[in-house]
Amino acid sequence: MSGMFFSAWPRRVLPLLVLFLLGAVSVHAVELKLEAQLIWGTNDPKPPKSEHKPVDDATSQRLRKVFKWKSYFIVNSQTKIVPSRGSNRFKLSDDCIIEITELEGPKVEVKLIGKGVPVHKSTKELQKGEWFVYSGDDKNESAWFIIIRDIVDKDKK
Amino acid sequence: MATLVEQDVEARALAAELRMTHGFLAGNEPEVKLPESVDFHWSKIRREIERQEAAGVGREDRGVYWLAAARRFLAPLSGVALVAFVSVVSLNLFNAGKVDDPTRQLVETESLSEHVGSISYKSQAENMFVVYLYDKDSGVSDADVEAEPIDDMVIQ
Repeated sequence: MSGMFFSAWPRRVLPLLVLFLLGAVSVHAVELKLEAQLIWGTNDPKPPKSEHKPVDDATSQRLRKVFKWKSYFIVNSQTKIVPSRGSNRFKLSDDCIIEITELEGPKVEVKLIGKGVPVHKSTKELQKGEWFVYSGDDKNESAWFIIIRDIVDKDKK
Repeated sequence: MATLVEQDVEARALAAELRMTHGFLAGNEPEVKLPESVDFHWSKIRREIERQEAAGVGREDRGVYWLAAARRFLAPLSGVALVAFVSVVSLNLFNAGKVDDPTRQLVETESLSEHVGSISYKSQAENMFVVYLYDKDSGVSDADVEAEPIDDMVIQ
């Protein structure tokens, strides 16, 4: 009886081990569902263009605690999947593209491309609830922001 | 053959030695007389062999069985343990969830344009990592940028 158990033991455990390893690998290397938003910041309560909608209250409050502008409007918003160990591009305007690559770590490489030319590159771990923000000044005391966040963690700090 | 032996001196001497040896063996072979009948004697030997086999081989069988069972159990167990260890080490599973790991806080930023400068900072309160880009040709000097506070600052 016990001999039968011993002889069948590897055949019983091996599939479990394979499942464990596959699970561990899948946990470790995951695809990311990210949202990239191009946001306009201004002290004017009216949007620069009528089609630009104000950001939601939570986003607005969070931005106001860090930046000086009072009003924030969404210019463009895209949600895409960044595959494990792969990359994806978020075209936020005619001149602005964000390319995000999922790296080992797990980390992400965020590359800002302006007018077809790579401008800046950052590599970091996107932690839970964290926003990664590119920003810059623009004309008329306004500013632009590119907010990148894990869509699962949206509306969380 | 006998003629050839008779003609050769060495062969003749060898044949004489062989005859003498044969005579010694035939005349001195010991003859043991059994106190019992031959059948009874061999029957005793057979029973004794069977008794010893029944006693000794049983113990040996049990030892060999457990040794073989342990070997069958330990061999795959050690293989599984080795694979699991290598997997855990290679996937770095134990360190994956440690938030306070300082290496997780490392950030690499690189300006890819000579006309664009950058400053990055982390707002711990709002859990926000900001990279502020500025035009180097617009009059904002590096010294001005570096003079800004690191955390929770407001971009002016």
